[in-house]
Amino acid sequence: MKQRPLILRLITRRELGPFLLLVAEILIFQSIRPEFLSPLNIGNALDFTVELGLMALGMTLLMTSGEFDLSVGSVFGFSAVLMWTLKNSGATSLAVGFFIAMAVAALIGLVNGWFVTRLRITSFLVTLGMLLVLRGAALFLTDGFPQRTWSAEGSRLASILVGELNFGKLHLYASLFWFIGLAIVLGYVLTSTKTGNWIQASGGNASAARARGVNIAWTKTGLFMLTSMTSALAGIISSIRTTSANPNSGTGYELEIIAMVVIGGTALSGGRGTIIGTVLGVLILRLMRNGIVMVGVPGLAYNIFIGAIILAMVGLHASLERRHQAEA
Amino acid sequence: MAPELVRMDNISKSYGRVEALRGVNLTVHHSEIVGLLGDNGAGKSTLIKILSGAISATTGDIYVRGRKVDIRTTTDAMAHGIETIYQDSALVNQLSIARNLFLGREPVKGPRFLDRLDHEKMNEVARDLLKQVGITKDIPPSTPISAISGGERQAVAIARAMYFKSDLIVLDEPTNNLGVEETRGVLRFVRSARDSGHSCIFIAHNIHHVFQVVDRIVVLRRGVLVADDIDPKHTSIEAVERIITGLNDEG
Repeated sequence: MKQRPLILRLITRRELGPFLLLVAEILIFQSIRPEFLSPLNIGNALDFTVELGLMALGMTLLMTSGEFDLSVGSVFGFSAVLMWTLKNSGATSLAVGFFIAMAVAALIGLVNGWFVTRLRITSFLVTLGMLLVLRGAALFLTDGFPQRTWSAEGSRLASILVGELNFGKLHLYASLFWFIGLAIVLGYVLTSTKTGNWIQASGGNASAARARGVNIAWTKTGLFMLTSMTSALAGIISSIRTTSANPNSGTGYELEIIAMVVIGGTALSGGRGTIIGTVLGVLILRLMRNGIVMVGVPGLAYNIFIGAIILAMVGLHASLERRHQAEA
Repeated sequence: MAPELVRMDNISKSYGRVEALRGVNLTVHHSEIVGLLGDNGAGKSTLIKILSGAISATTGDIYVRGRKVDIRTTTDAMAHGIETIYQDSALVNQLSIARNLFLGREPVKGPRFLDRLDHEKMNEVARDLLKQVGITKDIPPSTPISAISGGERQAVAIARAMYFKSDLIVLDEPTNNLGVEETRGVLRFVRSARDSGHSCIFIAHNIHHVFQVVDRIVVLRRGVLVADDIDPKHTSIEAVERIITGLNDEG
């Protein structure tokens, strides 16, 4: 049996475009501002990147199964507020509050999944509703005021999730390793497991998969739960790192997350997904924001670049797809 | 005649006041290809959907090897060895041939919790199966379905049904939109399935295709089985067309 040459397999991978874009981006910023790749800036750029990245990882699997979740930004804000409200009111310890918040996030995903798979309502409408419910709940719970969070200092949970790590001048948070670990696990799940085959089949051709006995409803519901939980984890990590749990935080993240996933090569219509691509997509958008500020482009112009990148990448993926079909 | 494999007994299906099927009896024997014919709206799809578990009959029973069975889902039907292949919905285009063959029954290796696909086994079986159904071209099992032809897709679906020991393979319009050469290929796959001991129900609009491959023809008209033992070797295509359209009794 003939294997295609390695070089040919590499250039036909959908991750190649995002990879080259990321390299180009780094080279350009680095040539304009040599301190772009300094340990200080790398550390700074990664802090928030991995928090969005955690959400994007869950979203990648969900989108591969043919659904998406607009409520991730609200879950991000709500979960942190919930945990800190429980802690500050003296109802629970921080650790118990954390587990309650994660369990509530799982429940939110379960509700999303139930509406989408049992009532057959599109995920756009279901998760839009959930976005509003949770944002409203976060504001109501806190009367609109940020929750106190400084008591996280020194707690074991805080250091496990976002403990500070110093490697010489490079200053990192433990959350980076949670992100890397989750990326490896989910990448493995998507490409090498039975579950991954079901996820891809659910998004590719649900009726064919159902006819083979694949439980589409549970596969998708499980992924809604996963996405909610990674968003809750991201929100909680962010609240500890920035020492603020603001009921409005996470607003508008959903579209940026979906953009990151799509830039990486995952199809919005489902059936095809890539964790490596998502990691690249996350880095592309976050380093763009970081680099633009460093080279002195007005921050207000940021969205012009982001929009252009999204258009260029989806154009590239679509043309690769067409060529792939034409070869057949 | 070979012993009976599947018998649908007195099947009726109504949607409100519309009767889609009225008291249909259909029997398929071992190693037999039955051609199911009928005009649009005659009830072919309804009958097949009942057999494959996609919908349930209002009244009537299904027997497999003489034993009454309860088919409520496609999984039930497959457990009883009945597999239905719909032309456009059988396969996932984005997935490879090997992944499609094993979809829903993926072999795993190593510790259970790792849930790890056994790619070697999947590829090996896929290669053998493609040869077995008569694909002579060298197509790697890792090729996505979107990159192979319509006839080859039918072959993959048929190979899958054969591998998973489906005794009865129901083919719904397998030759639609296929060229002459491809159609010939599909008819060959159907014959090779019968020769290795499987039975088929073959549904096609093109009566010529049906005539080339089936052992017996049954005809549905307006929800009623109007003929159940037409021998294609001793009947003309025109005669069967008259039965399908009902010109015999009205003209």
